[in-house]
Amino acid sequence: MTHRRPFFITFLAPAVVTAVILAAALFEVLQYSVREFVPGSLNVGGFTLENFTRINRPIYWWVLLDTFYISLLTALFSLLLSYPVAFALVRARRDWVRSLLVSLSITPLFTGEIVRTFSWMLMLGSDGFINSMLRKLSLIEMPLQIMYTRLGVVVALVQFSMPVMIILLATAISHVDRDCEKAAANLGASPGAVFWRITLPLTLPGILSGIVVVFAWTMSAFSTPQLIGGGKVLMISNLVYLQGFSVLNLPFAATLSLIALIAALGSLVLMKSLTGRLEKRLAVR
Amino acid sequence: MTATSPAPAAVELVRVRKDFGSAVGVADVSLKIGQGEFLTLLGPSGCGKSTLLGMIAGFLTPTAGKIVVDGVDITDVEPYRRNIGMVFQSYALFPHMNVFDNIAFGLRMRKLPKAEVAGEVRRAIEMMKLGGFEERRVSQLSGGQQQRVALARAVVIRPKVLLLDEPLSALDKNLRAQMQVELSELHRKTGLTTIFVTHDQGEALSLSDRIVVMNRGEVQQVATPIELYRTPANGFVASFIGEINALPVARYERDGGEAALVLPGAGRLVAPAEGNFAHGAQVRAFLRPEHVRPALPGEDRPNIVSGVVAAHIYQGSHTITRVEVDGLGLIETRVTGADIVGTHPVGAPIALVLDLGDAVMLAANAGRIDA
Repeated sequence: MTHRRPFFITFLAPAVVTAVILAAALFEVLQYSVREFVPGSLNVGGFTLENFTRINRPIYWWVLLDTFYISLLTALFSLLLSYPVAFALVRARRDWVRSLLVSLSITPLFTGEIVRTFSWMLMLGSDGFINSMLRKLSLIEMPLQIMYTRLGVVVALVQFSMPVMIILLATAISHVDRDCEKAAANLGASPGAVFWRITLPLTLPGILSGIVVVFAWTMSAFSTPQLIGGGKVLMISNLVYLQGFSVLNLPFAATLSLIALIAALGSLVLMKSLTGRLEKRLAVR
Repeated sequence: MTATSPAPAAVELVRVRKDFGSAVGVADVSLKIGQGEFLTLLGPSGCGKSTLLGMIAGFLTPTAGKIVVDGVDITDVEPYRRNIGMVFQSYALFPHMNVFDNIAFGLRMRKLPKAEVAGEVRRAIEMMKLGGFEERRVSQLSGGQQQRVALARAVVIRPKVLLLDEPLSALDKNLRAQMQVELSELHRKTGLTTIFVTHDQGEALSLSDRIVVMNRGEVQQVATPIELYRTPANGFVASFIGEINALPVARYERDGGEAALVLPGAGRLVAPAEGNFAHGAQVRAFLRPEHVRPALPGEDRPNIVSGVVAAHIYQGSHTITRVEVDGLGLIETRVTGADIVGTHPVGAPIALVLDLGDAVMLAANAGRIDA
């Protein structure tokens, strides 16, 4: 059976154009990464592999590791905080509760990253909301240092990623067959046992894709670590920025970008294969 | 409507009621179900049969009334403490577990020792002929096998009552017939008190010890399959169970040992005189297609009516012929074989003998059909 698809080429065109431009840009990054840095100039010199050998210094490896670490922490905390929200969102009996939860969890998605990060700076600073509240309650004497720490960055990134995590989890939770939960209860499972043995395993695909998406997303975070980390918490994007726009070493920035891209893709592939295997083992429809 | 069951009651429903807002889901149902009985709740969709089952399982809380199992009031007991097995319409097998783990689930929840779990599951697997499928994913099973896993999972916990919520409706016709046989074998082997919900009167008639016919949340009749078929309590039951011809409302006339139905526009039909209707009562007669037959050529006897063949519905072993009879409307007759299709084509005149001796006669107000 052959289908005639008269508009196929036409419809494909935008995707092709986008892909070509992306490929060209990546190629440009690639070719920058193998050029010499000419100090004091934006022009680059001849071919060299020096940028790649320069990567092999502990400081850069630490930034890369830190990026992994922050992304992983963000994904895990985002999951822990989002699951109850997503669950309540799907299972709420009253419509207004559901709409309220939807708007509360999705609206942040429509405020810019800068706006959200700035709000967190107001929250987390030495004179910020959290510190002044804690001091008013006499729980602390000296302000807690949250700004410019990994903790502060993770807190903001978790909030930043929660809408996406909630959407992915809510989709998974809404696909759980309620009859399976009823059947489990009928067979003697307490509400807790129903959750741990039925609901949670059946939402595992959503949990895994949520972790993967948030992890990958956080790997490329820039403004949050830039503003809240204030140069004290460096993620890979901040390092690229530093090299490219402060030191103006564009070739090395390109090399770092390439490394970041490879690291992100590599960890995604790794995660996909892990979750793929897990899912196959559980064979959830 | 009370029906006495010989064995002591395993399940007793006392004026159980369920309202959904202002709508009535189940209206004051009282019922005693005997130990080991196979009872069917039969009715069209929305009649309240599944709601009733849900209340027995504990997924729904009755608005009023109580549910007693083995002498214990379980109305407020949580579902997971009830020890009532249930097979869902969708089977609700756990997709992330294999066959063994599905069946073992209830036993593990009861914290049985591992060896005991394995033994019980093995027995259940053997009984349901699932040997060799232990390690299979439930998604790799056919509909019939999934059905058997669902049954095994429900009976392995030795429930006090087994609830079956339209378990055969998802199967194709041949498989359904086979599963009916297996269901009744399972019932015989386990002796479990079983409550079966269906809208399929054929399943109900072939499987049940007793049938509860429900409509609009109310119990219409509780009776054995044979009683139900022969002596339906009202027009709804008469027309819901099997095929039946509902004659128009008639005036019942009694003259000594003779009785007649006077139908406006169709004359007099001789009726059995043993009914307890008063002279002049408004009655309605219900007549099964097997009690209507084409008249033989030149046959002369009472209760022969004439009409025109409207349609033949050929069923293989028999043919259902619809005849438009003057004053009676469409009357169906059931004839063995297919000869009638040739002898009386559609549009041909035909004379029918109505065997009113086998008719069900109901007072006209009870003969209301509100299916």
